[in-house]
Amino acid sequence: MAASKEEMIEKLYECVVEMEDEDVVDVCNEYLEAGYSAYDGIMDGLVAGMNKASELYDEEEYFVTDVLLCSDALYAGLDVLRPKLEASDMDGDSKKVVIGVVEGDTHDIGKNLVKIMLETAGFEMYDLGRDVPLDAYVEKAKEVDADIVAMSTLMTTTMGGMRTVVEKLEEAGIRDRVKVMVGGSPISRKFADEIGAEGYSVNAVEAVKVAKELVGIE
Amino acid sequence: MHKDDQMTPMERLTGFLTGGEMDRLLAMPFICSMSGKAAGMTHRQKRATGRSEADCQIANYERFGHDIVITEYGLHTVGKALGTEMGDPEDAVPHIVHNVLQDLDKAEELDFERVLPQNSPDAQKHLECAHILHEELGEEVPGATLICGPFTAVASIMPTEVLLRAVRKRPEVVHYLLRQCTEVLKELHKAFIAEGQLIFFCEPIATGSIANPKEYLEFVKPYTIELMQNIHDNGGMVCYHICGDTKRILSYMVETGPDMISIDNRVPLAFAKEIVAPHMPLLGNVDPVEKMILGTPEDVEEAVKECIKVGYDCEHGYMVCTGCDLNGDVPLENLDAYMAAARKYGKMPVGPQNWEN
Repeated sequence: MAASKEEMIEKLYECVVEMEDEDVVDVCNEYLEAGYSAYDGIMDGLVAGMNKASELYDEEEYFVTDVLLCSDALYAGLDVLRPKLEASDMDGDSKKVVIGVVEGDTHDIGKNLVKIMLETAGFEMYDLGRDVPLDAYVEKAKEVDADIVAMSTLMTTTMGGMRTVVEKLEEAGIRDRVKVMVGGSPISRKFADEIGAEGYSVNAVEAVKVAKELVGIE
Repeated sequence: MHKDDQMTPMERLTGFLTGGEMDRLLAMPFICSMSGKAAGMTHRQKRATGRSEADCQIANYERFGHDIVITEYGLHTVGKALGTEMGDPEDAVPHIVHNVLQDLDKAEELDFERVLPQNSPDAQKHLECAHILHEELGEEVPGATLICGPFTAVASIMPTEVLLRAVRKRPEVVHYLLRQCTEVLKELHKAFIAEGQLIFFCEPIATGSIANPKEYLEFVKPYTIELMQNIHDNGGMVCYHICGDTKRILSYMVETGPDMISIDNRVPLAFAKEIVAPHMPLLGNVDPVEKMILGTPEDVEEAVKECIKVGYDCEHGYMVCTGCDLNGDVPLENLDAYMAAARKYGKMPVGPQNWEN
């Protein structure tokens, strides 16, 4: 007998939490063949699993490596289910975030995790990658009419670039239209305040909360 | 010797190691990547030659009178010798642009001979710096070489994300690379020790914020034990530093057998003291960003005082150090304030009389 929808969703959830990036593809295909909704599979299965992984990271049960592998499973699953989404499932007015690791730094694990978390939470992400020239943030923010510019760095030596981006947003005359959030190991609330960034989060999980607050969701 | 001190750093260190006399606690704000600032050089000028690197350290010592001069072999030089592409910024630490190893199946094609001291121009440059510092300042100030640990060396060869996935999915490749890195690091340690250097063994990628304690035990600890032993066999001394939150691996770090341990400001000094102090000297951990870069000289003084209040009575000794390296944004006045506070609150005999009333 075929598994019920709830059982299948539970399996999708477990694949992400247990980092099964190969099994998840089979489970997704099986789920679609049974005729269940792609949207529910993504939200209640894959995304819920990723949220659980975030919680485990917060509780120091999971480490960066674990979250990385969970996100591999999430993406493998999304690749199968996403093309099957109905037009009505897509959230039309999702908020736009331009994200990147500032110039001089190529450490992008943290940035990638934040991107995944925000994407999972329904934000529309524009990823500039790593070692991003400071002007590129401003140009992209203008181009897509971004709601948030998110910057990260792991190195104390490149933190200064974040301040420059905030200044450049002002010069470009769009500072009042866009919120700035910053993160990364050497960054602190104090530093964020000093450079005039509205948002700061200690880790990728909290980044979602911060981003939602900044754009007035929930 | 600095005008406000009564002993040279070398006399002070000798006192520290032999239980002899000291005028104050040893104090080492981590002056490495920003060392050009006090010498009026950009980072690119500083890193150009062994001579310029040494001149920066000398200029800093002359101004601050801190207790160590540092040669920066650095965290990426192993990968660079193998072909990892680096940036060349004017006034910042060069960063990795493209790691040489992207495909794990090609690990065995890497030629580790290129990393050996005699074959690597970068190693030669830093050895020259170490040599100059030892020749010109060696009798007055100890020198240390900052060099990556084996796990961080592997991360300079392949992207960290690839490394972390490989730890779970292709552990045999990670062990192969760790073995190769361990062997070349042994030769590098030996060469720097021959230039009179202490080893400052830095392993940022093994931080507890990234890898879990089980992975530390399997992938980091065994190779580290071997390297610590090799340093001692060659007559060297080593300080072990891992960045970030190391609360859960600190006791394993002690077990690798370094001569002292330095901790990041993400670990409370009192916590580290309980685990490290019964076994060896402890270094730490003034916040390099909040206090040293963003703080005022008064904030710095307060932070140094707070560290000394916690650390001064460590069984095997305590040195007041920053939690990590400092960058060029640090105001030089804050370094003056740091050393002035270390002289004031760390004055021997150190005790509550230095900070009460």
